[in-house]
Amino acid sequence: MFQRPKFPGLRRELRAVLITLCLVAAITAILYLLILTTGLEHGSAAYLVPVLIAAMRWGMVSAVVAAVCGVLASAFFFYPPLYSFRISDPQEVLNLILFVVVAIAVSQLATQLRRQLELARRREIDLRDLYDFSRRLAGAFDVAEIHAAIEEHLAAVLQRDVILYAGGRGAGQRKNAPVPQAVFDEVKKCAAGRWRAGTDGVITTDENETWLVRAVSPKNAEFGVVAINLGFASPASIEEFKIRTEAVLADAAATLERLDVANAIGEARMRAQAEQLREALIESVSHELRTPLASILGAATVLSEAPALQSEVKLRALVQDVRDEAERLNNDIQNLLDATRISSEGVKPRAEWTEPADIIHSALDRCRVRLADRRVRLDIPPNLPLIHVDPVLVRQALVQIIDNAAKYSHTGSCIVISARAGNGHLTMNVSDEGAGLTEDEQARMWDRFERGERHAALTGGSGLGLWIANAFIAANGGVIRAASAGADCGTTMTIELPVTQATVAQSEGDDDE
Amino acid sequence: MMNDNSPIVLVVDDELQIRRFLRTGFELNGFVVHEATTGAEAIRSATLQPMDAILVDLGLPDMDGAEVVERIRSWSTVPIIVLSVRAAEAEKVRLLELGADDYVVKPFGMAELLARVRGLLRRQMRAVSGEPTVRVGPLTIDLAARAVLLNDRRLALTPKEYRLLQVLAQHVGNVVTHQHLLKEVWGSVHVHDTHYLRIFVRKLRQKIEPDPDSPRILVTELGVGYRLAQPADGEAGWAATAVEKTTP
Repeated sequence: MFQRPKFPGLRRELRAVLITLCLVAAITAILYLLILTTGLEHGSAAYLVPVLIAAMRWGMVSAVVAAVCGVLASAFFFYPPLYSFRISDPQEVLNLILFVVVAIAVSQLATQLRRQLELARRREIDLRDLYDFSRRLAGAFDVAEIHAAIEEHLAAVLQRDVILYAGGRGAGQRKNAPVPQAVFDEVKKCAAGRWRAGTDGVITTDENETWLVRAVSPKNAEFGVVAINLGFASPASIEEFKIRTEAVLADAAATLERLDVANAIGEARMRAQAEQLREALIESVSHELRTPLASILGAATVLSEAPALQSEVKLRALVQDVRDEAERLNNDIQNLLDATRISSEGVKPRAEWTEPADIIHSALDRCRVRLADRRVRLDIPPNLPLIHVDPVLVRQALVQIIDNAAKYSHTGSCIVISARAGNGHLTMNVSDEGAGLTEDEQARMWDRFERGERHAALTGGSGLGLWIANAFIAANGGVIRAASAGADCGTTMTIELPVTQATVAQSEGDDDE
Repeated sequence: MMNDNSPIVLVVDDELQIRRFLRTGFELNGFVVHEATTGAEAIRSATLQPMDAILVDLGLPDMDGAEVVERIRSWSTVPIIVLSVRAAEAEKVRLLELGADDYVVKPFGMAELLARVRGLLRRQMRAVSGEPTVRVGPLTIDLAARAVLLNDRRLALTPKEYRLLQVLAQHVGNVVTHQHLLKEVWGSVHVHDTHYLRIFVRKLRQKIEPDPDSPRILVTELGVGYRLAQPADGEAGWAATAVEKTTP
């Protein structure tokens, strides 16, 4: 068990020496050939090549081996007496000694260069990790994300399986195997701040895995506790790893302090609470306003059908007013809720394959009361492509647009609703013969709470409608456009939605014919 | 107006005003109305006396309306309609899957609610009497003979088209979820393949709708499912005075 961590290093060294020997042999063979064919005397300097290569790639040991072998090979093959390690000429001996000196000096330089390169590369990786880390921290939306960032950062730096326990996260998080109970107990102790008194945070499990448990920062409990799986490790390597871990954690803690992560965690927590509060408020407003509305509308519909009122035309008209106004109020509440949802949490579409005509019919159904005294013309070709959208959101947008068309046009005027497909898009168009838009009005119409002066004069409204429609269509990957020849020239609103091909899937359903 | 044959509805809602208008509305239309203000009371009432229909509000003081639905459904087939101010489509689908027969979103009109309740009563009656035909406007579906007629002319439907229509006819007037239809017609592997459904509904409408471009018989409930005829109106339909015309 103890040799295990040493093995890879030794094997790598052996491999390097072996390759170096091969290089020396190859150089010897080439020199030998050259001497035979060209009459070259000898070329010990050529042995600097394997020395350099070995120094650059594998370090001093291989380089020295290369130098010594080079000298031996020269002596054996090239210096008289040949095929013996003896050398007769003292000049040649001096040359070879010089060679060894130069080789060792060169290999030392090369090894240093190699170390520096490696250091630079390591620094760059560290820097990139740190940069990624700080960027993730800056972009983190909530506490969980910050903790995930810390965990991944530590795992990247330590190159080990790291699990971070903080604020309810971490339990049972390991993918392959569960975290041993003993480790978990130590984490709990550590989180409670009692770890200094007891063990040193090193735990060896029954499976001979060694775990290191440490608080990320002794000063700030918010940063959590890490459990690091060292795997099989010798006492010496555990000690070494402990020191490295301390250093990395101290670094990480300093980084966390510097990036003001404690604050970020606090803020994220507050944001989450504010969000929950807002959700609850919306829910409650929706309920509290709608429940009395339900009574008002329900009672009004019962009244309007009551036998006692059938002959009372004026009273029935009053009841009708109650119904219409309650309906309007209900729509306004819906708009306000939609607008709040859009700005607080964004729109989350639930896309499904949808028949475009279904959306239009459903929208028309919703607008029936308002469209009662308009002429509505439908122009929907058969066999439009299916679209993959959230049908409810698109319908709500279309309802807003049809509602506007009715609001800003005269009784008895015509509203044309058409649909077209082509160029990878499906468009739904609503054209009216109403108030139209000037260029200036077209520029401002998409703003929240914006209502044109001419339009405000015509009828009431919150100015939220188009803003909501725009958000809903954008959430489905589409756009809304407005076109008008000018004031009182009518308006054409166009919803454009992407069409993605579902032809393969469509034909699969035909298997019974 | 009331007699021994009057249908009995149980209204479960904690709001006095809602119960009051529902009572008046139903009584004017010949129903007998029982009331409950809590889930526990509703479950007790439903066990003590057979009801013809139960209307459950989702926001009850003692338990969630969904739980009331689930618990009543565990031993009874009584038609249940959920009343709710929560309008999210996913929520509707969940309730239908729990065993509710239909839902109506508050605020709603009496006419719309009456249409839904009457649809359910008719269905219940058909189940008891074994009446095999379902009529929706000009369309007749003979479940015993497996025949479909439009204006007395027999239609040629493929097996899957007929199966689709059959499932919808068994729930005539009520919404049937996409998931349910897909499971019944294509099997449980395909419960998320809504495009199958869209293509088949399109073909089916070409055959069974007098005007396929403006479907009146096979109606879409966006984001939830399909409904065979009845309320020409969506859930915002308190103005739905024309509702009753589409069904016999």
